[in-house]
Amino acid sequence: MLEYIGLTVVVPPMTSKRTIVLGTQHAPEFACLPLKINIGNFIEAKEHGADTFLMAGGVGPCRFGLYGQLEAEILGDLGIDYDALIIEPPDKGIWQFVRRVRKITGSASWLRVLQGIHLGYRKACFVDSLERVVESVRPRERAEGTADRIFKQALFTIDRASNNTELEEAAGLARQKLQHIPQDEDKDVLKIGLVGEIYTLLEPFASGDVERKLGRMGAHVVRSIYLSDWVSDHLLGGFLRRKGQEEYKKYAKPYLNHFVGGHGIESIGAGVFFANNGFDGIIHIAPLTCMPEIVAHCIFPKVSEDLDIPVMTIYLDEQAGEEGLNTRLEAFVDLLANTKKTGLLDRSATIC
Amino acid sequence: MACKVGIPRALLYYRFSRLWPVFFEKIGCEVKVSDETNKATIDQGAASVVDEVCLPVKIFFGHLDWLSDCHVDYLFVPRIVSIEKKAYICPKVMGLPDMAATAKKDYPPFISPLINNIRGEKDEEYIRELSPYFSCGKKRLKQAWLEAKKEQARYDQKISKEFWIEEGLKDDDPELLNVLVLSHCYVAHDRYLNMNLLEKLKKAKCRVVLPENISDELLERAVKGLKKKPFWTYGKQLLGAAFWFSRMPGRKGAIILTTFGCGIDSFIGNMAERHFKKAGIPYLIITLDEHTGQAGLETRVEAFLDMLRWRRKHYENNFPTYGEYLDTIARDAGIHRAYSCCTSHDK
Repeated sequence: MLEYIGLTVVVPPMTSKRTIVLGTQHAPEFACLPLKINIGNFIEAKEHGADTFLMAGGVGPCRFGLYGQLEAEILGDLGIDYDALIIEPPDKGIWQFVRRVRKITGSASWLRVLQGIHLGYRKACFVDSLERVVESVRPRERAEGTADRIFKQALFTIDRASNNTELEEAAGLARQKLQHIPQDEDKDVLKIGLVGEIYTLLEPFASGDVERKLGRMGAHVVRSIYLSDWVSDHLLGGFLRRKGQEEYKKYAKPYLNHFVGGHGIESIGAGVFFANNGFDGIIHIAPLTCMPEIVAHCIFPKVSEDLDIPVMTIYLDEQAGEEGLNTRLEAFVDLLANTKKTGLLDRSATIC
Repeated sequence: MACKVGIPRALLYYRFSRLWPVFFEKIGCEVKVSDETNKATIDQGAASVVDEVCLPVKIFFGHLDWLSDCHVDYLFVPRIVSIEKKAYICPKVMGLPDMAATAKKDYPPFISPLINNIRGEKDEEYIRELSPYFSCGKKRLKQAWLEAKKEQARYDQKISKEFWIEEGLKDDDPELLNVLVLSHCYVAHDRYLNMNLLEKLKKAKCRVVLPENISDELLERAVKGLKKKPFWTYGKQLLGAAFWFSRMPGRKGAIILTTFGCGIDSFIGNMAERHFKKAGIPYLIITLDEHTGQAGLETRVEAFLDMLRWRRKHYENNFPTYGEYLDTIARDAGIHRAYSCCTSHDK
């Protein structure tokens, strides 16, 4: 989208161990993981020549709303010279939003800007719809990893698409390829709902690749949040409000009756929704010390008990050891498979 | 028969310690405020919620447990979203009634009105929120509410006048050190949680300045320079106090007193720390958790105060008259002004 209006975009290298090391070194100790990774990303992007960083803002009460400010301060203290552009959501004042966007876009015409936003948003939507296909194919594919390879290629072609026709072509082709992957139709597949904090849901490196791992273990994973939801809800201020997120909120009653910032209420709502729709289990992931998700974590045992669905909460931090996570996921999947087979649920073992 | 309402002595009770009890008494309830925090409260609280929540919330649950053993009819667990315009408290406090409802123990029924001032304070809204819980008319509720509010305002005025120095010490004692304790009210006033830090500081000849001693107007002015104001009441208060304090002349030090797992302090504390570093003000960060050993804390505080005293002596030797002059004037001009502002501002 930014390239569309004539800016040079430096995409930081994929999040890696080095990113997290850089981030944890400079971020406050008890800050949440996304902030640490963000700072690492910005430092790495600087090494690749970026001079301005673009951040979304917010009005609380989740800490994300202050990310931009704290990052600007931390980078400034490190002597890393950055121009901070923080876009606050339009509900704080439409004119401020317009001014900030203007500052980014410079001399590009408004039509061009709107077209750029629209194209970016459509790309997100296409990627999300492809991802849903990948999620359902992954546990059934005969050759492990085919879907992921195709998806990776599709991301690349979608990213390169510079207009609507190219985009539709790229997405359509990828979808067809995905649908033609040889699959084992008779396989008994578990359905697992993945809920939690958005960043850890969307960034595979931060979440230790939970989604893919579960897929390979034979589970059809459905996430509660996809990128396009967030873009439409937060950045575009709900002008294009779609049903998904709002609906989840309704399900959260009576377990959580008030919004608690971040995605706390969506996590609970989606959990209830998944439980009511025949899912076998729920995995709740969040960065350590995430405030809204801690509230959700406190409430999940009750949801699990009332709706008879196993829930596991996983907190993620800069710890890189993978095996602990693998063991927990395997145990959880085994438990679900066993429950499904025997129809018995050992209550004492389901709340982890 | 009057019903018995239990109020946990935790979290924002310390901010509204007059308002809530007086309100319930005025409408004819018997009020039971839980005892001060002790080891059993913390242990019990930590056992009833998940590990990841912050210590003050665990203590809150400990108080709930204690009260439910006291045969109260109702527990007062308000859902406090915001206590001032355009600022929240914190996600965990917002979800408190829901978290309490799912805790393992069977609690007595809750009275949990929604307290949300994000769009400004309106008495009618409170009354509407509270009225479903009581059989008495709205008029009586309103009367009780207004009286309770007056009582709280009177109390606020009284404590803002209180000087946080040891009795018998004079206000212009040259030995006196100014120490700002940056912490939320429920940490600063919970004597078990903070291991009586305020008393310890007072005994060590310090003038303890708390963020709540500084008037809202001054705090608001202090954070004005920021590109974006923090959207938490306590975040704003702490950061404002840090800015204000660093502008006051004189020798001084700051203690950032935070609890393990506090999400707000992880950001605000860090910002304050960066500010103190740039302003050249010595600071000490203390993170409190379930540990009860006091020696570690005492040693650190002592070392910090020794360092402050050493600095004062050292610098005063270098610049004798000016330094001394600056120091006494500072205390009168700076800190005093804040106190008098406080008192005149409070209605």
